[in-house]
Amino acid sequence: MSASGGGVTRTLTGARLRRKEDRRILTGRGRYVDDIHAVGLLHGCFVRSPVAHATVRGLKTAAAAALPGVVAVITADDLADCVNPLDFGVPAEGLTTPTYTALSGDRVRHVGDPIAFIVAESRYVAEDAASLVELNLDALPPVVTVEDATHDAAGQLHEGVNRNTMFWRERCDGDVDAAFAAADRVVRLSFSQHRWAPVPIETRGGVASFDPSTGLLTYEASCQSPHLLKFVVGGAVRQPQHLMRVVGPDVGGGFGLKWAPCREDVVLCASAKLIGGRIKWIEDRNENLVAGGHAREDAISAEIALRADGVILGLRADISIDLGAYPMMPSASVTTGIMRAMLPGPYRVPAYASTERVVFTNKAPYLSLRGPWAIETLVRERLLDEVARALGMSPVEVRQRNLVTLAEQPYQTQAGYKLDGVTSAETFTRALELVDYVQVQADLALAREAGRVVGFGIGTFMEPAPGTPDMWAAIGFPFPGEQARVRIEPDGHVSLFTQQMPNGQSYETTLAQLAADEIGVAFEDIRVVYGDTQVTPFGMIGTGGSRAATFASGCTVLACRAVKQKVLDIAAAMLEASAADLHIVDGIISVVGDEAAVPLADLAVGCYMAPDLMPAGLDLDLQASGSYDGEGGGFAQATHCCWVEIDPTTGLVDITRFLAVEDCGQMINPSVVEGQVRGAIAMGIGGMLLEQIVYDDDGNCLTGTFLDYLLPTAADVPDIEIHHLQSETDRLIGSRGVGEGGTILAPAALTSAVEDAIVAAGGSPVTATPLTPTRILELLGVIRPDS
Amino acid sequence: MAPTSVGEALSALASATDPDDLKVLAGGQSLMPMLNLRLAQPMTLLDINGLHGAWGSIELGTGCMQVGALVRQRAAERSPVVAEHCPLLAEALPHVAHVQIRNRGTVGGSIAHADPSAELPAVALALDAQLQVIGPQGERQVAASEFFRGFLTTDLAADEMLSRIDFPRLAPGTGTCFLEVSRRRGDFALVAAAAVLTVRDGLIVAARLAFAGVASGPVLSSEAESTLIGAEPSPQVLDAAAHSAAEALSPPADVHGSANYRRHLARVLARSALTTAWERIVG
Amino acid sequence: MEETRIHLGLNGAQRSGLAEPRRTLADFLRENMGLTGTHVGCEHGACGACTILLDGQPVRSCLMLAVQADGREITTVEGLAQDGSLSTLQEAMWESHAFQCGFCTPGFLTTLTAFLAERPDGASRDEIRDHLSGNLCRCSGYQTIVDGAELAMSRLRAARADGQSAAAPGRLVP
Repeated sequence: MSASGGGVTRTLTGARLRRKEDRRILTGRGRYVDDIHAVGLLHGCFVRSPVAHATVRGLKTAAAAALPGVVAVITADDLADCVNPLDFGVPAEGLTTPTYTALSGDRVRHVGDPIAFIVAESRYVAEDAASLVELNLDALPPVVTVEDATHDAAGQLHEGVNRNTMFWRERCDGDVDAAFAAADRVVRLSFSQHRWAPVPIETRGGVASFDPSTGLLTYEASCQSPHLLKFVVGGAVRQPQHLMRVVGPDVGGGFGLKWAPCREDVVLCASAKLIGGRIKWIEDRNENLVAGGHAREDAISAEIALRADGVILGLRADISIDLGAYPMMPSASVTTGIMRAMLPGPYRVPAYASTERVVFTNKAPYLSLRGPWAIETLVRERLLDEVARALGMSPVEVRQRNLVTLAEQPYQTQAGYKLDGVTSAETFTRALELVDYVQVQADLALAREAGRVVGFGIGTFMEPAPGTPDMWAAIGFPFPGEQARVRIEPDGHVSLFTQQMPNGQSYETTLAQLAADEIGVAFEDIRVVYGDTQVTPFGMIGTGGSRAATFASGCTVLACRAVKQKVLDIAAAMLEASAADLHIVDGIISVVGDEAAVPLADLAVGCYMAPDLMPAGLDLDLQASGSYDGEGGGFAQATHCCWVEIDPTTGLVDITRFLAVEDCGQMINPSVVEGQVRGAIAMGIGGMLLEQIVYDDDGNCLTGTFLDYLLPTAADVPDIEIHHLQSETDRLIGSRGVGEGGTILAPAALTSAVEDAIVAAGGSPVTATPLTPTRILELLGVIRPDS
Repeated sequence: MAPTSVGEALSALASATDPDDLKVLAGGQSLMPMLNLRLAQPMTLLDINGLHGAWGSIELGTGCMQVGALVRQRAAERSPVVAEHCPLLAEALPHVAHVQIRNRGTVGGSIAHADPSAELPAVALALDAQLQVIGPQGERQVAASEFFRGFLTTDLAADEMLSRIDFPRLAPGTGTCFLEVSRRRGDFALVAAAAVLTVRDGLIVAARLAFAGVASGPVLSSEAESTLIGAEPSPQVLDAAAHSAAEALSPPADVHGSANYRRHLARVLARSALTTAWERIVG
Repeated sequence: MEETRIHLGLNGAQRSGLAEPRRTLADFLRENMGLTGTHVGCEHGACGACTILLDGQPVRSCLMLAVQADGREITTVEGLAQDGSLSTLQEAMWESHAFQCGFCTPGFLTTLTAFLAERPDGASRDEIRDHLSGNLCRCSGYQTIVDGAELAMSRLRAARADGQSAAAPGRLVP
């Protein structure tokens, strides 16, 4: 076995190792941002607009400021000279990105729009003071839907953004008109998804400290990307980058809520600088549900041109996002771009035309919730089921006829990139083998004869995890590589520095598994260091976009190889052997098949403490960086099967069985993968059946507590069967991301099953979500909509 | 304030300068969320958990089962006395939120709070429980049918407290049933139905059907009562009663369900609850 | 507001601290007692992250006032492991990969600790799920939490069958 450059015996990679994180998590010793307590720590609380749209005539803050225990009341005026407006614009044709201030000064644009920030000695006092701030607002008519917002008569939310349309793009690839002219059949579907939200159990929050004596601004934040936060917030508050430090502690879930830098981050840091102290802000749940940001309020109107035998000839799609009141990162043009790119998915679509539109409304801002582009899978799979009904084919047949198989790849799509190694079709085939589709249909028929409302749904998809260079180029978003650094400590133990920012993904465990295998030291002797911008490599994305499995793995492996090579070169000189004949096992470097050995600990202490006694002319610095460009990246893919039974008297949906066949390539830790898959599917189920952010016609958010915003509980999520197809690769890294997939695909499979049940019972197809009991009984014709 | 005797509590209520600025804290499972969300900001809380000695027991009285207002919901849920003598209450209690809530929430607290979607007010109404009220002016008794006055509003004056709920013992030939539909396990009811049916010599002699989730408070259906009394408990009659009960309702529409949906559920649950109550009579 | 002194039994030790009347028990435990294991996720009793054991029974610490804990016995997640060794439940959860971000975890552990003590003969998966419907988790999809609970139940049953005491003296089973 060769010692370096591959040929490592991987005993831990692929194993279901127990997590390092659990020792502290199970004993209540995790350290989340709200756990930071210190003498003199101040507490902040935001004053937010109670109305959806208004000009701000003035604020009266004197009473609040006079309350004992209040240190400061910060308004937009206080920040005007020291904080830049937030500008998240990117160069893209058809995109007009308005800037806005961290605290709203002259205008508020959604319920929850932050207007002032109270800093006090305790959270209780800060909240007391917040209620004493008087707001003088002149209400303006709110626009609460895309339709209203783009109407001629609608008021403009932002200067320079006509018809409240921030982005518009048209694209056409292939001869779409010819495809539709030649079609035997055209099937149309207009589908809208409702607004829901990431809602991790830990809300947002941070502790900002400014030390005037050093000029250092430190921001400890529950975040997903410390370096992005440092760059954007530092820039906004005019803090030089070398005097800013962001630290991510334990993070209680993100799901996209905590990826984009937000106004509250900027206000908190700016306030710390103004006061010269340490301020903590923890979002409360009501704030989180109303103002923290929402997602998924998207619509796609599509038509598909077909041959009589079900082969797709062409596709037209109009894609629309309701962005809420303010743009956040990434630019919504990227989100619609991914929707557009992924809509054809793993199917053959020879001609494709689309429009993309992003519109402002008087609602909380739109965030990148886990799999932000998910509507593409929901609509595409709905459309294919509709095609099946129209042509009298089975949904399975339609898909089999159009899925791109491995044998056809590399396959150039009309979405601007090629498929290579995409196994959606193979996951589909495997799923059918596992479920025995004929038997499924027979069972359904029997149950239906007995009057039961039952259904089966199947969906397949692919997702950029992390995607490929040509796919991201077509969207207009970078595909950056990643870096890791590894250091062998003076006692031979290992520190690994990653740019990932875990919020439940278990990187402390998975990256240590890779490193242990790569270097040859014990898993227990490796610590993964993350979150602190002072020591971790720069990464603009941090944790998001399902990149870690590929990128973090790759740069970890490369960094470990580099440091291992240094070690072997030194050991070779010490042992008077050739580096190629050495291996490291359990921290002992030895000649393969020989007794000559030196413990890594001895070698390390020599390098650090007695370099003059070490072999001359060698690099004794036991650190190395690894940069990984992704080797062309890739996609993850899966097929989900869902069985439901609907109670026709209550409209409640029972998911009686759920099966996933997923392919995320080589799994580092199958338990971690399965946890991500189950959690993602649970979120998808919640999104379709329970979760909904509701606004009334005046722009008031009606779902501001957990009594109204319903998360799925243990009684709502079934046991989920998972089967893995671990596609092989000859690349260095065969792992793909898997965290977002369940949330993208499960809604499609579930909606398909519910629709199957309803249509078989004589009801109407589903054209909108959520699938509430009321909507289901309306579709079944059991009740009529309220007039 | 945390009085340790009823007398102390009453003095505190009597001397409150503004009775509306003082709120009684029992289990806290309804009041604390309101305080935390700053929907209520009373200057004073009267923590009456110290009165558990006086108001924390379940006893059999003349023709009734007496439940002290401070009996924890979980204790009532596990009580063999409740199971034997008040099956309607026993059947409803597991639907009240979750174990962690029921460990602190009290029977009296839920009834005094009178959330329109709560289970226990509907149970009290269906059984026409007698509510024992105490205040600085003295003690009085109110029937459940007079107690619920509107949205989160009961007959309790600002300086009064509920001390005990007397659930009538069931006459021979009586069957009860509590049914609920909610979005998730443990949520407030979308609609709940509590049915109490007494049949003698093949005819219905007493019928009370109460709903939760269909109005600003629990609702007793006079339509159902008039359809049922004197009739045979046949499927057609029970169905007609359920239908008339539902038709009389004007349920609210909200994020959890439309008005038509709630009305539909009311009919469905009423039908099922009445049927099951009847089946339990015939055993 | 006037602070009062509260005396309570906390994870087996006698503790005391000062609190304003309106201070919640959750905040008191986290800030005054320095036990940040109990987490705050909603402050209206719905998410369950703040669940602690009050005289052995699970309650929401966000819905109790600190002053109401005077004279009571409280067990938080920090009190489940003893002398560095994890409880049977904690070990089972670790092996089952029950949790991910960890924020909901304390509420699940306290709730299940009480449940396992109440149900020595075990419970079905559906019963476990039902019992846990008052604790929200956003990461796991719940299946592995149920797995861990089942594993803990079977181990405790086996230990009892073997005549071993699963409880150390003074320690809360399991």
